[in-house]
Amino acid sequence: MIKHINKNWSIYAWYFIILIGLIITIAPFWWALASSFKDNVTIFAEVAPFSFWSMVPGTSLDPYYGIFQKGFGKAMVNTFFVSVVSVIGGIIINSMAGFAFAQFRFKGDNILFGFILLSFAVPADAIAIPLFKMMRQIGWFDTYYALIIPMLANGIIIFLFRQFFIGIPKELMEAARVDGLSWFGVYWKICMPLSRPVTLGAGLLLFVFQWESFLWPLIAAPSPDLHLIQVVLARFSTEYAPIWNQQFAASTIAGLLPLIFIYLFQKQFVSALTGVEQK
Amino acid sequence: MFNNFFKRQWVVPYLFLAPALLATIAFKLYPIFIGLWESLIYTSFGGGVEKRSFVWFENYQYLFDDPLFWQSLKITSILTIIINPFQIALSLGLALLLMRKSKFIRVIRSLYLLPIGVALPIATVVWGLMLDPYQGLANGFLGVFGIPPQPFLISEDQALWSIIAIATWKGVAFWMLFLLAGMEEIPTQYYEAAKIDGARPFEKFRFITLPLLKRTILFVFVADTATNFVLMVPMIILTKGGPMQSTNVLAFEAYRSGFYYQDWGRSLSIISILTIISLIVIGLQLLFLGENKEDRVK
Repeated sequence: MIKHINKNWSIYAWYFIILIGLIITIAPFWWALASSFKDNVTIFAEVAPFSFWSMVPGTSLDPYYGIFQKGFGKAMVNTFFVSVVSVIGGIIINSMAGFAFAQFRFKGDNILFGFILLSFAVPADAIAIPLFKMMRQIGWFDTYYALIIPMLANGIIIFLFRQFFIGIPKELMEAARVDGLSWFGVYWKICMPLSRPVTLGAGLLLFVFQWESFLWPLIAAPSPDLHLIQVVLARFSTEYAPIWNQQFAASTIAGLLPLIFIYLFQKQFVSALTGVEQK
Repeated sequence: MFNNFFKRQWVVPYLFLAPALLATIAFKLYPIFIGLWESLIYTSFGGGVEKRSFVWFENYQYLFDDPLFWQSLKITSILTIIINPFQIALSLGLALLLMRKSKFIRVIRSLYLLPIGVALPIATVVWGLMLDPYQGLANGFLGVFGIPPQPFLISEDQALWSIIAIATWKGVAFWMLFLLAGMEEIPTQYYEAAKIDGARPFEKFRFITLPLLKRTILFVFVADTATNFVLMVPMIILTKGGPMQSTNVLAFEAYRSGFYYQDWGRSLSIISILTIISLIVIGLQLLFLGENKEDRVK
C-alpha cells in the first residue's frame, strides 16, 4: 500500500519537474511567436501586469510586412543561397575526404585524420578575427566567397562520412575496380548513392551551421547587400529596439524554418549530431 | 606524362583528400598563425597613413599592464567556473529525467530539444526582450508571485547571471543529446541485475550510469568549456560588455578592441591567449579520450 503511494508520488513529482522545465524551454519562443502577430501597445499591456493573453497569438500580420520592408526578404534569399551552396560544396569535399580516410591506407593517414579532427575542435569564433584579417589580405572581404568558402571543410562531416564508408563492404568496391571502374567512379557511383542517410544528415548540419552563423557574417561581410538572416535580426534589435513585434516576427521566421527542417529529418539529424545510429 | 601521374596508386587518396585538407590548412590552421604573427605587430594611423611595425611582445606587455585585461580575465574565469559545471549538471539531470518511460516521452523529448534548433542570436534577442526590466515577460511572470521587478541585464550584479541563463537555455539540450545517447548505449541487463540486488535509484546512478558514462561526460565537459570560452554573441547583441564591464569576457574584449577601436595588435594578442587556452583544453581532451581509442573505431 505504502509502496503504491510512493510510486504514484514519484510519477507526479516527475511530471511536475518535467512541466516546469517545459515551460522554461518553450515560453520564450512561444511568447515571441504569439507576440509577432500583435501591435506593440498590446504586447506591453499584456505583460505588465502579466496576463494570460500574452501567450495567445494575435492576428495582425503588420509586423511581418514591416520586416520585409526593412530588407528581411533580401537577407532570407542571401541566407538560402549561401546555405545551399555550402551544403553542396561541403558534401562533395567532405565526403571525398571521408572516402580517402575510409578506403585507403596511405602515408600519414592517421596524422592527417588527427590533424583534421583537432583543427575543427578549435571553436570557429576563436579564429574569426584572424580569418577576417586574412580575407582582407586576399581580397575576399565583404564578398560571398568569404561567407561560403572558409565554412566548407568540416571535420565533423568528414568523420561522419568516414564512419559510414567504413561500413560499406570492400568486396563491392573491389569487384567494381576489377570491372574497370576508376576510384572516382567507385566513390561517385557506388559509395555516394549508398550513403543517402548520412548525406542527408550532413547536408542538414551544413545548412543549419550556415543558417545559424552570426559572428562570421557580421564581421566578414558588413555591407547590407550581403547581410544574412542572423545579422539582420541582431541589427533589428539595436536599430529598431522599441519595435518589439517586428523583432519577434524576424525571430519567428529565422527560428521556425530550421526547426521545420529538423523536425522533418529528426532521425538523421540526431544521429548526425551524436554519431550514433538511432533505433 | 600527367596522365600517368594520376594513374599511380599512391596519389589517389591524396587527390580525394586535397580539397578538404587544403581548405582546413588555409582557413583553420593558417589563421592561427596570422593571429600569432599579427599579435606582434603594432599598427598606427598617423596622418591617415597606416604604419605597421614589428614590436615583439609589446602588445602583450601593454595587455598585462592593463587592469581592463585582468578584469576581463576575471570575468572569463568566473563565467567558465560557473557555467560549465552548471550546464553539465543540468543536462545530466535532464537526461536522467528523459530516460524515464512514459507515454508522452517522445513528445516531451522533442519539445526539450527545441532550443537546439534556435540559433544563439535568436535566443539572445528573444531573451533580451524577455528580461527587459520594464515590459519583459520574466518580470511580468515574477509579478504574479509578488516578486518585485528585477533589473537583469542592466544591473552590474545580475547581467552575467542573465547571460549564463540565456546560454544555458540554448546549450543544455545540445549537451544532453550526447548524454542521452550515451545512456541508451548502457545495456539494460546491468540495471536489471542491480534491481535484483535491491539497488536504489541513486545507487544505480552512482555505480552503473556514472562510471559507464564517464567518457561521454568528459567529452561533453571539454567541448562545452571550449564553446563557452568564446561565448560573446549575447555580449555583442545585448550588453556590449557592460554594465560597468561586468560581462566583458576576453572574447568580447578582443572583438571590441578590433572592431570598435581598430587596435588589432591588442585584439589578436587576446585571441592568441584564448587560442592557447583552447588548445590546452583540446590537448587534455585527446589525452583522456585517447585511452579507449579501440572501442570508438569499430
